[in-house]
Amino acid sequence: MLEIQNITKVFEKGTVNEHVAIKDMSLSLKKGEFVTVVGSNGAGKSTLFNAICGSFMVDGGKILLDNEDITYKSEHKRAREIGRVFQDPMKGTAPHMTIEENLALAYTRSQRHANPFSSAITKKKTAFFRENLARYHMGIEDRMKTKIGLLSGGQRQVVTLLMCTLSVPKLLLLDEHTAALDPATAEKVMEITKTIVAENNITTMMITHNLKQSLSTGSRTIMLDSGEIILDVSGKERENMSMEDLIQMYSMKKQKEFDNDRILLSSEE
Amino acid sequence: MIELQYYLSNLPDGLIYGLLAMGIYISLRILDIPDLTTEGSFGFGAVVSVLVSLQGHPVLALFAGILAGAFAGVITGCLQTKLKVHPVLAGIITMSGLYSINLVCYSLTEKGATTNLSYDKNTVFEKVKELLGIRGQYETSVVKAVVSLGIVILVLCIIVWFFRTHIGLCVRATGDNPDMVSASSINVDRTKIIGLMIANALIGLAGAMASQSLGYSDINTANGTLIYGLAAVIIGEAILGKRGPAIGVLSAVLGSVLYKLIVAFVIRQNLFGEKSANLMKFTCALIVAITLAIPAIKQKAAESKQRKAAR
Ligand SMILES: Nc1ncnc2c1ncn2[C@@H]1O[C@H](COP(=O)(O)OP(=O)(O)OP(=O)(O)O)[C@@H](O)[C@H]1O
Ligand SMILES: [Mg+2]
Repeated sequence: MLEIQNITKVFEKGTVNEHVAIKDMSLSLKKGEFVTVVGSNGAGKSTLFNAICGSFMVDGGKILLDNEDITYKSEHKRAREIGRVFQDPMKGTAPHMTIEENLALAYTRSQRHANPFSSAITKKKTAFFRENLARYHMGIEDRMKTKIGLLSGGQRQVVTLLMCTLSVPKLLLLDEHTAALDPATAEKVMEITKTIVAENNITTMMITHNLKQSLSTGSRTIMLDSGEIILDVSGKERENMSMEDLIQMYSMKKQKEFDNDRILLSSEE
Repeated sequence: MIELQYYLSNLPDGLIYGLLAMGIYISLRILDIPDLTTEGSFGFGAVVSVLVSLQGHPVLALFAGILAGAFAGVITGCLQTKLKVHPVLAGIITMSGLYSINLVCYSLTEKGATTNLSYDKNTVFEKVKELLGIRGQYETSVVKAVVSLGIVILVLCIIVWFFRTHIGLCVRATGDNPDMVSASSINVDRTKIIGLMIANALIGLAGAMASQSLGYSDINTANGTLIYGLAAVIIGEAILGKRGPAIGVLSAVLGSVLYKLIVAFVIRQNLFGEKSANLMKFTCALIVAITLAIPAIKQKAAESKQRKAAR
């Protein structure tokens, strides 16, 4: 489904601030796979998502989605097939527009050939949106004419999630989308996420800092560090893995780095 | 009666400049872009209009004005999006570029180099008067007011309809959260350009109509239109509040008419002495500054009140 071949991304190339955010990374996702992505701050998780979405062009390598080479496709064109939810609830919605207007806009993805001068909001569409919102029992469906900016963070994330999946994307990218929510709401939004993904069998990648959640959700876990995939587990191996193992793996890697640094420093003396 | 006639004579301009205010409302409030193309597109609309009218087509001239403004908007839009020029600079570049182009346009007739051209009665307003066999100063004002009102209402309807269509929704969202628009598989660059095109098309039309109303077009007519439009938008918002795009464009027109009447009143009553007319731009700047400062002043006042209460 998603095929990433040896991609590299270097920020501020040729300056003193040169930073390799993604290093010769390859990754392959099967259709319907739900992958959780973990890694420390600055590991390159969001950068990986940005590369897939086309926020920037990669410096090397190839990205294929459903056998189509999208490496040089513009961001908005990729968005037809890729849905994305950010950590910041403000990012995914237009705050001064109503819920139905936001949904109608997002629904564009499925109506590429519609007449641009057709009515933006029709009774039929509104009914369809309401019906979909009502399933999550958050009371949002009765507030279709409310400006999104007035909703709570959790409610906004649910609307954003729905906006991304109303027309089913080939790939769904979730970047710590419950991190800004309180535990109870986060739980609820997570449940809704699982429901939507399972129902539509969407290939999904989810970044999370919750190690327990990373093992309990989805079918595969990858760990990133300094722009490289340092762990990729699924199936039995993953089932037998505990949170402690994950933490240990993680610190082992860090320890190695630490040792390297020490060797480097001592050799300088 | 003379009073009424005096204010009535200011009504057409208020309405015509309402089109300008609508354009500024669209770029400033809906697209959230400070667009400084205004004086360029207004002047371009005016000169193109006079050139086409002199060929005997005053109605066609209005459409030419619209196209001229739209062209200016597209240039600014492309500078901003395709070439990543800062929005303020992009507007300034187009505006000053157009100034020269306008000068060239003025020298296109057999009169040679000049900075103003007369319509020689080839205006929409004169044509309507001719058609109805109307003369007299008072009647002229009425004709101008009715014709302008008709055009403004027509344009208002089109704009309100536009912002209800799908593409209109995209333009609105572009000003609210461009990331989200792009994530919805819509080309943000394109919606920005479309928005600026429409805004400046309205301003071009305002330029064309304003010069037809005057009976001549001068390179300097465009001076001060930007600050005028801002004032109109702000006055309109002060009355009708900040609401959706439909109320927004309507309030811009209302603000413009009201502003023209205030100015007329100031000049009539000589509020600033003999030189009242000369101080118009200053008054305009003052109104804009004060209105923009009100929220900050209100907050300061509330804070100091709170501080006092706490003591
Ligand atoms: N546009 C950019 N320009 C320069 N450097 C960048 C840019 N975007 C990211 N980086 C750098 O790339 C590295 C990876 O950043 P990234 O945002 O992918 O981390 P992350 O794994 O998502 O971390 P977090 O868990 O904090 O979200 C960081 O060192 C960051 O400073
Ligand atoms: Mg991140």
